[in-house]
Amino acid sequence: MARVNDPSRREAYLTALRVGSGVAFFAAWQFTAMSHVFSDFLLPSVPVVFARLLHDLVSGDLLYGILLTLIRTFIGFVLAAVGGIVLGVSIARIPAVRWFFDPLVSIGLPMPKIAFLPIFMLWFGVFDTSKVLMVTFSSIFPVIVESWSGTQNIDKYMTWSAMSLGVNRHRFLWEIALPAALPQVFTGLQVALPIALIVDIVCEMQMGGEGMGGSIMTDMRFADSPGVFAYIIAIAVVGMILVKAMEIVRRRLLVWHQEAQAA
Amino acid sequence: MPGISFREVRHTYRPPRGKPVLALEGVSLEVQDREFLALLGPSGCGKSTLLYLLGGFIPVEQGEIAVGGKPVNGPSPDRGIVFQHFALFPWKTVRQNILYGLEKQGMPKAEREKRAQEFVELVHLKGFEDSYPSQLSGGMRQRVAIARTLAVEPEILLMDEPFGALDAQTRALMHEELLAIMRRAPKTVVFVTHDVREAVYLADRVAVMSARPGRIKEVVDTKFKSNAQGEALQQTSEFAAKVDHLWKLVRDEAIRAQGTQQ
Amino acid sequence: MSGAVAVEAATPRPAARPLAARLSAALWRTLPVVLVCLAWEIGPRVGLINPEALPPLSAVVKAWWGLLQDGSLVSNGITSLWEVVAGLGLSIVVGVGSGVLMAWYAPVDAIVSPLMKSLYPMPKSALIPVMILWFGLGSASKIASVFCGCLLPVVLSSYNGARGVDQTLIWSALGLGASRRRVLWEVVIPGALPEIMAGIRNALAISFILMVAAEFLVGQHGLGYLISFLGDGGVYDAMFAGVLTVSAFGFLADRVYLLWMNRMLRWRE
Repeated sequence: MARVNDPSRREAYLTALRVGSGVAFFAAWQFTAMSHVFSDFLLPSVPVVFARLLHDLVSGDLLYGILLTLIRTFIGFVLAAVGGIVLGVSIARIPAVRWFFDPLVSIGLPMPKIAFLPIFMLWFGVFDTSKVLMVTFSSIFPVIVESWSGTQNIDKYMTWSAMSLGVNRHRFLWEIALPAALPQVFTGLQVALPIALIVDIVCEMQMGGEGMGGSIMTDMRFADSPGVFAYIIAIAVVGMILVKAMEIVRRRLLVWHQEAQAA
Repeated sequence: MPGISFREVRHTYRPPRGKPVLALEGVSLEVQDREFLALLGPSGCGKSTLLYLLGGFIPVEQGEIAVGGKPVNGPSPDRGIVFQHFALFPWKTVRQNILYGLEKQGMPKAEREKRAQEFVELVHLKGFEDSYPSQLSGGMRQRVAIARTLAVEPEILLMDEPFGALDAQTRALMHEELLAIMRRAPKTVVFVTHDVREAVYLADRVAVMSARPGRIKEVVDTKFKSNAQGEALQQTSEFAAKVDHLWKLVRDEAIRAQGTQQ
Repeated sequence: MSGAVAVEAATPRPAARPLAARLSAALWRTLPVVLVCLAWEIGPRVGLINPEALPPLSAVVKAWWGLLQDGSLVSNGITSLWEVVAGLGLSIVVGVGSGVLMAWYAPVDAIVSPLMKSLYPMPKSALIPVMILWFGLGSASKIASVFCGCLLPVVLSSYNGARGVDQTLIWSALGLGASRRRVLWEVVIPGALPEIMAGIRNALAISFILMVAAEFLVGQHGLGYLISFLGDGGVYDAMFAGVLTVSAFGFLADRVYLLWMNRMLRWRE
């Protein structure tokens, strides 16, 4: 492998590699489609899928669907973020809260929370409320766990230094504990966002209607395979953008953190 | 039994990020058969790199390293190595670690087990054969590492700051153990260290390396005429004079190394 | 004489606390769960919570028992578990192999790595419709969906685990006479095992999610199907029972796996 030494050239090299493998992926897809090993229904050719993608983009359907999905995802995510951080920090700092929530969180964490979807539908109907709440319910757990861990496991030497410098309990929380916990809290958010997107799409697939999940299920029911594939590409792109966005925010927010310096 | 010869060995370190750095520049050195040679020098002078080149873990790009007249070509159980951080297989017990090299030699099972047990006892770890490395102290782990390497009976023993991770008391005990083992079954040893006293105490000759890019600055004889052993030897004026001489050689290089560190 | 070597202590295994103390500690820890159960039972009964929306716990338990007896819990449970096991198992076989090979052979890494990192953020649940198109309405599409979701976490953790193996371990093995191929099997894979097993634990959780999601959408078998069937039919206490069963499976699977993982990795610090 070529040795690339200059950091900015290295970024360019990595991007080229990514693009290259993307191109290779689509080339492999197209080649397989053209060989007709699978029928056009099972594996539509790349141009057909892209044509469909373009068509839906131009007609506005795609953007509308993306918008709806993103709105639901974001609202659910924000609720999970706020609730999760508040709960996680409280669990770390208030023993009574910890006593109550510790078993609930550790039981809840490995459960497939998507199984609760019919319950949410029963309680909140088949419209946006149940989707958003389901998203919140599913994605709150990683936020709680990471916020809890980040707040609780602060380096004790840092704590002792702060105390010997005369900081009081209240200011300690805001000025020392929370900034120190921020990297881990943010990690929790980074884990929660993709979960939010996945769960929202599943909810949309189940309940139908508008949004990326609903559209893809409709296309499936109509055996419209180019449509299904087109939406998958769209969803993949949305997922990539969200994750990348979180990475950029993390770098800005945590510019002081040692991982940033190591880069 | 082969001697080792280094001729005009050069090595450039090419990190995945950043610029290439010349690590070794024209290193030439002869190691006699059954000699205990210490490679002494400041951090970053390339002494470990030289050892890894000798071990065959890094390919020699320029110059020549020959063992018994034949150029080095890849790792081999003839050149056993002991690392600073023990490099024990954490999922294997003490016994299983020591057995590993013996299994690779295709020895029959009964003989392997017997040989492994001999080496367990050689390093005074009887009773710990079924312990995992995570259950052992630093000194014990290093003894397992030494036993594992010695069990395959290499002709040459390479040691990369093997006692650097141990506390001072343990290190002193390990020195005695190593010397005792060497007296029982002498081998050619190339021992990398940055500790002057350790080098003077253990080695027959000490090769002092310069700061990066590393060259051999001077080779000093450290065999002692005195009959004293152990602590007594370390308190003789002969010993102190040698340490002082070497320390002065190393100190200049150490200062130079500090200056060039990023 | 090296008889002067002191006998150093090896770390002893910690002694087990007395059984009574452990039991009462366990009871104290589960008390919140007990309180929630009590609230679940009393709330609907006294009208604090609408019993149509949330049947009291005893009704749910009764319904659960009924499902068990008429066999629907068992037959659907077996289907769901099979889908998880098959999908996860396949992803482990393919994933560990790929991840380790990628870490060991640089050309494979250069080609596959960027693709993998790009595909990682894509929500694999979106692939469920494709799997249905390809494999139909039965268990095959569910297994395929689980496979898709579990593959990348397993590949990534195998890759990272293999790359993280200390160079000195590899060199020690080479220096003891092992061939490069043997080093891969005897050093890299065992060395990567902690991270691989952590990745599989993640994948286990994902497998349940995808299985349930896929069963909700299409098909006539499995616990997901059972839950939504009961929900559509308005048999809410049984529906809750079904939800609890699936959740319990997910929880138990994780715990059992954790026990096994700790046993396999008992050599860790």
